[in-house]
Amino acid sequence: MRDLPDGPALLAFARDVLLDDLLPLLPPERRLDARLVANCMAIAAREAAADPQGQGEIGAALATFYSASTKDAVPSPTLPRERRREEPASALPDRAALEPAFPAREPHSLPRMRGRVGVGAGAPADDELSRRFARDLRIGAFENSEPRSAAVRAILWRMTIERLRLANPRFLVANGVIGPKG
Amino acid sequence: MAGTASPPSEALRQASLARFLAAETGAHSVEITGLAPLAGGSIQENWGLDARFFGGALPGEQHLVLRAAAATGVPSSLDRLQEFAVLKAAFAAGVTVPEPLFASADPAVFGKPFLVMRRVPGTAAAHRITRDPALDPDLPALAERLGRELARIHRVRPPRPDLSFLAPYDDAGPQRQIAAFRAYLDAHPMPRPVLEWGMRWLETNLPPPVAPVLCHHDFRTGNYLLNGARLTGILDWEFAGWGDPDEDIGWFCSKGWRFARLDREAGGIADRAPFYRGYESESGRAVDPQRVFFWEVLASVRWAIIALQQSDRHMLGGERSLDLALTGRRAGECELEILMLLDRGGNPADA
Repeated sequence: MRDLPDGPALLAFARDVLLDDLLPLLPPERRLDARLVANCMAIAAREAAADPQGQGEIGAALATFYSASTKDAVPSPTLPRERRREEPASALPDRAALEPAFPAREPHSLPRMRGRVGVGAGAPADDELSRRFARDLRIGAFENSEPRSAAVRAILWRMTIERLRLANPRFLVANGVIGPKG
Repeated sequence: MAGTASPPSEALRQASLARFLAAETGAHSVEITGLAPLAGGSIQENWGLDARFFGGALPGEQHLVLRAAAATGVPSSLDRLQEFAVLKAAFAAGVTVPEPLFASADPAVFGKPFLVMRRVPGTAAAHRITRDPALDPDLPALAERLGRELARIHRVRPPRPDLSFLAPYDDAGPQRQIAAFRAYLDAHPMPRPVLEWGMRWLETNLPPPVAPVLCHHDFRTGNYLLNGARLTGILDWEFAGWGDPDEDIGWFCSKGWRFARLDREAGGIADRAPFYRGYESESGRAVDPQRVFFWEVLASVRWAIIALQQSDRHMLGGERSLDLALTGRRAGECELEILMLLDRGGNPADA
């Protein structure tokens, strides 16, 4: 059993005390730090309160995207137009051929960082799909199909809006992407 | 944190700095009357340096800035001696910069390489500049002036023996940047599909190459000083290099640098028109909005990568900075801008 007020309520109250009571007492050159602390608390509160389904839904959208139809689900990459080369639509091109200057690296070459950022909190399968999606977009995988491209854009918007709802909802409002009430 | 060195080593450092300043100016002695960290400069350490010179080329009380590298840096920035050479070139081209005076790479002087320039009055605080209603009437003229300043920077062109350390720029410039961004993302633990999608657009919409010029590569609100409404200095030259002039124009106008005024597309201070007008009148070259658009998309990708690198400095480099720790989350703002620029239909969920 936990006592009341609960964690989120305490965090919100502590943030108010910081901004309303403590900030005016700080020398001007340290006020920015207090605002940054308040911003950290707000992000942490939003992330703690976030529906884990938000991430799950994007994972589900990606799963649907990749299972939509076996024919369409095979990426049909094209090389940059100015290179004027044709690739078989059925095969992924060799990445080394696309980026000779940068040999392919393992995506997890920063294992220390991975542990510290707490990546992998979501389902590993979602993580893997998202990685695959990023790889496919790099090579223009879905550009030859307008419905697929539209589905790609819909997922990208959704990912971005979900990310900013946690990181900086005011930026979404300022850009007219969501209303002031979210 | 800077400025917390123990008193004996701090006294030694000031003594060696005073000897250096005396030797550089031919003064018979120099007394350091103030040395304290200045606010700002997330990548470099800036110190306010007050010194009294007895004799020599710079006699009397001088107010200076000493600029040294911070503990960890963002890759690809110039070292202080190179930045000093760039500042001298810009100063000679008539760009409004604090006059560069001395530089040294000798660790015996200050513990690390540094440069010294004149301290000019003013604030670079972008939120204040974009928010202060008292400045509003002067901002279109400021935008025009900044356009002219940028055109002067771009008048510096290769070959320049004094700038021979700058990497040559060829027609593959944008592709090289894209390759570097991708290599960074390959080593990053989180996939970034929007950045990949944006870079794919860039790769398939490359503008025709133009002759390279000296680019500032971080020319934006927040990197110039205003004293009242008067421009007193263009700052932070550590990313300068040969490049496409429209890259600086796109960077200045990109949404990441509009601060409190997203609606004022030229650096959060004015419409594009006065900024472009100033640039065109000084350079004699018409600004091509389509080229600028390309570089504006690239600017959002680049700012996203820099934001992620800034939080790496906290996560991996161990720099104890809330500001750096939080900056990584700004990558999402860049991703939204990439979508808004390239998918004019807007969020399909609203359709």
